[in-house]
This record gives sequence, structure tokens and C-alpha cells, in this order.
Amino acid sequence: MEKIFKIVFMALAVLSIPIGFFVEHEHAVFPWHRIPSFEAIFGFFGTFVFIFATVLLSSFAQKKEDFYD
Amino acid sequence: MISPFPPAFLFILGVFLIPLLKGKLKQAYLLIVPAIAFLDIIKLSPGMSWSYSFSGYNLVFCNVDRLSLIIGYIFLIIGFLAIIYSIHVKEDGQHIAAFLYIGSSLGVVFSGDFFSLFAFWEIMAVASLFLILYQRKKESLSAGLRYILMHIAGGCSLLAGIILYTINKGSIAVGVIEPNAAYWFLLLGIGLNTAFIPLHTWLPDAYPEGTVTGSVFLSVFTTKTGVYVLARCFPGVEFVAYMGGIMALYGVIFALLQNDARRLLSYHIVSQVGYMVAGVGVGTALAVNGAVAHVFNHILYKALLFMCIGSVIYMTGKRKLTEMGGLARFMPVTTITCIIAALSISGAPGFNGFISKGMILQSIVEAHRPVLEIMLTLASIGTFLSFIKLGYFAFFSRNYDMKSKEAPVNMQLAMMLTAFACVLIGFFPGILFKVLPYQDIPYHPFTPSHIVGVIQLFMLAGASFILAKAMVVPHNAVILDFDYFYRMAGRGLIWVCVVPLNALRKKFQLFSSVTVSIISRLAKNPVSTIEIPIAYVYQRITKGNRYTGGYSSSDTFNENLYRRPVGAGIFFAIILFLAFVLVYFVF
Repeated sequence: MEKIFKIVFMALAVLSIPIGFFVEHEHAVFPWHRIPSFEAIFGFFGTFVFIFATVLLSSFAQKKEDFYD
Repeated sequence: MISPFPPAFLFILGVFLIPLLKGKLKQAYLLIVPAIAFLDIIKLSPGMSWSYSFSGYNLVFCNVDRLSLIIGYIFLIIGFLAIIYSIHVKEDGQHIAAFLYIGSSLGVVFSGDFFSLFAFWEIMAVASLFLILYQRKKESLSAGLRYILMHIAGGCSLLAGIILYTINKGSIAVGVIEPNAAYWFLLLGIGLNTAFIPLHTWLPDAYPEGTVTGSVFLSVFTTKTGVYVLARCFPGVEFVAYMGGIMALYGVIFALLQNDARRLLSYHIVSQVGYMVAGVGVGTALAVNGAVAHVFNHILYKALLFMCIGSVIYMTGKRKLTEMGGLARFMPVTTITCIIAALSISGAPGFNGFISKGMILQSIVEAHRPVLEIMLTLASIGTFLSFIKLGYFAFFSRNYDMKSKEAPVNMQLAMMLTAFACVLIGFFPGILFKVLPYQDIPYHPFTPSHIVGVIQLFMLAGASFILAKAMVVPHNAVILDFDYFYRMAGRGLIWVCVVPLNALRKKFQLFSSVTVSIISRLAKNPVSTIEIPIAYVYQRITKGNRYTGGYSSSDTFNENLYRRPVGAGIFFAIILFLAFVLVYFVF
């Protein structure tokens, strides 16, 4: 069940990329607004920014639960 | 026709009847008061004010404009829903604290002057403290103490700012502040309640320790009144705008690492309030509209999230994600409403967060703040990820030991009504647009690029999350925040008192005791004048330590030793008195 859900989700994610080529940003102000499907790229790599940030943070700030006791 | 009455007083005066009523009558009363307050607030119209002259100053208890009205509406709506959620609570004290909390928050919102604002601000801090303390656990008591200490510090800063402002300006009316000394004190005081980094530590520290029902109230009022006052006093301040961006990212990174479900939600308050603060900081009409709309929507979905996790805690007693799991089978209403709230906070199309986040982001683009746009878009990815984590580990992950029933009917009803409000605004944002402070500001949420952009952002973020899921599995651990420094400073202060200051006290006490003993000996027998120096010299030579007149400075407790300071005090008082008499008569 979980596996099917994952495969369907991944498939939908890949399928959502080409839709970006058919819509245009209404208020393109910054250069990245003109890149088609920019949000898809941003979403994919943004997640790794978070994973990197959390790993970095937990490397020095993660302590045992009774740290303050 | 009854003329409108400041809504804050309905709650604050309404408190007195709560202990007198019982059973169903009390429950009815608890719901009738917010209903009457809502009818009252509907009758208020912009421009009205209810003022009272006090020692030369004009105290304005009910200053009505479009900004205060919309915040008043949402405070009453959520107050009503949260009271439904907590109607089963038997303890009167909790209801009284909640009433005072709602009342004082409405008081802050409708205050037209800084003095009454400050008074309501402090009632708010104390009333909310009791919603934490009623949990009656050791952790809650110490978290409550830290909470109130920080709020007292913030209140002092606010008061200092208000006094400086009044001296400079000669008026106490709430308005936009110009940069001067008062500016920074006010910003610090308001910023503490708005959870500016690094003053935010009270929030994720205390909110998870509140009672199940109390946390729902806590999640709503304090930070949002902060945003409201910020919108009144500091619109369009560059520093505030970037602080909002920092809060949005900071909160979300810490949220991703939490194991305690309510602490995760608390860090999301910091993050979501960041969006509002950024909107206020940008300060254009669309940005302020967006910030206020986000306050409105955030209150709905965040209270709903606290209700859902609260009912999980209420039914299972588990508060950590590592202990939860598999609840979707047992608690379908809680699960579905929690998913609605999670989609709303993430800003998925068709839910209320989509509308207001879009407004804030568009205003930022129009105001040419590229860095802020990237910060907030990144934060929305993090929000989505941490709600996948929360939803998965609380409701869907495998946990065969978990058994539970669905929450009580009143809790379910409150959750369903709140979830309905989230979806209603998501599909019909016009309801919300009608009550926003600035009218005729064009904004169209459902544009193809906005919808497609958000869907792509979430789908791809979800996909890469599935690839790297192992990195975010919750752990039994504490993540140190800035409160590490505050706690260490607190311990340092205690150390300074216990070690060096106490040593100084001991030295001084010994000196006074010796002096008193010498004098008393002299008074008894003046002939012994010679004996004392001899004893002193003898002791120095033979034992190498100082003459103590029979008193030791050792650490062992000697109750007679601790009685001496009274004698020493009296002795010095007499000496001083004699000196005074001498000076008085001679000159």
C-alpha cells in the first residue's frame, strides 16, 4: 500500500513538471519568474537545503532529553 | 437600542459569574458570552470610540477601525470554537483564565492609547500563564516561570518605550512610531510577544507544556496581538520585513527536528508569524492586507492543529511523534481535520493559507524584495515537509501497540467547524476580502501560474523528501535553541549569588560579629582592653589564623552565628543614629 502510494506520488510529481511550460507568470519581476517550471526545480533542491540545514544543526545542537535537568 | 460596549469588558466582567454557575447552565453561559460579544462587535463601526479621561490623559478603550474590527472578529470566532473544544473541562480556573485571556487580547486590539494597551498586555501575560500552570506538572511549572519572566522583561521594555514616547510626544495615542529612543524599547517589547528571533524562546518552551485545551487558546492570542500592534506602530520598516523572513526560515528548520508534536507546532507559529511580520515590514496596502489575512487564516488552521494534536494527547496520553502512529484507524475525524489544517498551513490551493500567503508573496514581489521572496518560498517548502512528517508519524506510521478512541463529541465538533472555516475561505476568499483593512486593492489568488507553481513546489519537495526520508525520522532528543544562553545566564546569576556574593556576605558578617563581640566585651569589662590585642597576636602567631572572637567562618551551619547579623544591624543603626545626632546638634 505504502509502496504504491510512493510510486503514484513520484509519478505525479514528474508529470507536474511539463505543465509549467504552458503557464506564464503574470507578474514576472525577477529573472527566475521567467524560467518555466522554476518552482519544480526550487522545490526539489529546496528540500535538500532543509535536509542539509537540519543535519548541520543537529550535529551541534542535538542533546539528550535530560540535558537541562 | 443598546449602544455597543467595549467587547473586552464583556469577557473580563463575565469572569465573575463562572464560579457561581454549575453544569449545563455554566456550559451555556460560556458559549453565550462570546456570542453576545460577537453581536456587540458587529454593531461597532469604524470611527467609533469609547474614551475616558484620566489625570489629563485620554484613555481610549474602544478605538474602532477596519484593522481592529477584523482582528476582533477572528478573536471572537476562534474564542467561541476553542470554548466549544474545552467545554468539558470541569475546572473553573481554566475557563476564567481563558476568558481573561480572550478579554485582554480584545482589549489590546481595541485600545486607542498606550496606557490601556499596556494594562491589557500585562493581563494577557498573566492570564495565559495560568493556562500553562493548570497542567500541574513539574515541567509546566518551570516552563511557566520562564514564560512569565520573559514576558515581564518584555513588558518592562514596552513600558519604558511608552513612557519615553509620552514624554517626547505629549500624547499617548497609539500610532506610527518615529525612530528615537522610544522606538527601540517599543520594538523590543512588541517583538518579544511577536516572537522575534532570538526573543522567541518562551514560545516553543511554554506552549507544549500547557493544558490540552489551554494550548489552543495560547496558540491564538499572544503572537497575533503582537503582529497587530506591530502593524499599528511599525508598518513599512525594513528591519521588521527581514526579521519576518528570518523567523519564517528559523522556525521551520527547528520544527523539522522536533519530536514533541506540540513543540513542532509551536515552532511553526514562529515561522508563520514570520510571514505576517514580513508583510507588515513591507508595509504596502497589499502587504498589510496580506499580513492581516494571514493572521485571520493562521488563527484558524493553527488552532485546528493544536486541537487535533490536543485530542491525540487527551485520548492517548502520548505527546511524542516517536510514541504515536497508526491513529488514522481509530481517530478518523481528528486525522481528516488534521490533514485539512496541514494543507491549509502549507498553502495548498483550495485551503485558506493559499490565499494569504499568495497575497504576502505578491506584495513582496511588487515591492522588489528578491531575498525576502526566496526566504519565504523556501520556508513554505519546509512547512510542507514538516507536516508530511507530523501527519505520517502521528497517524499513518506502523504502531501496532496503539489503541485509542475518537475524541469527545465537543472536541470533534470544534475541529469540524474550524476545518470547515479553513476550506470555506480557501474556496470563497471574497468573504475574507470584504473585511480586510484596505479596500479596492486588486488581488486574484486563483491564477494558473500561482496554482501550478504551488503544486509543483509541493510535489517535487515531497518527491525529494521520499528519497531522503531517513534523515527526518524523529529522535528522542532536545534541540538547543537560544534559550540555552538564557538558561546558562540564569544559572550564572545564581552562581554569582551563591558563591562570590555569599562569600562576601560571610566575610562581612564575620567582621561585624567580631566587632560586636569586642565591643560587648569592652562594655562588660573595660579593663580587658589589653587582653584583646594580646589574644589577637597570640592567635596569629600560634595558630596562623585570625582572631575571630569565638566565631568560626567554617561552612557548618550554626544557628547562633546567623542570629548575629540582627545584633550587628542594630549596632550599626545606633552608631549611625549617634553620628546623626552629633551632626545635627553641632551644626
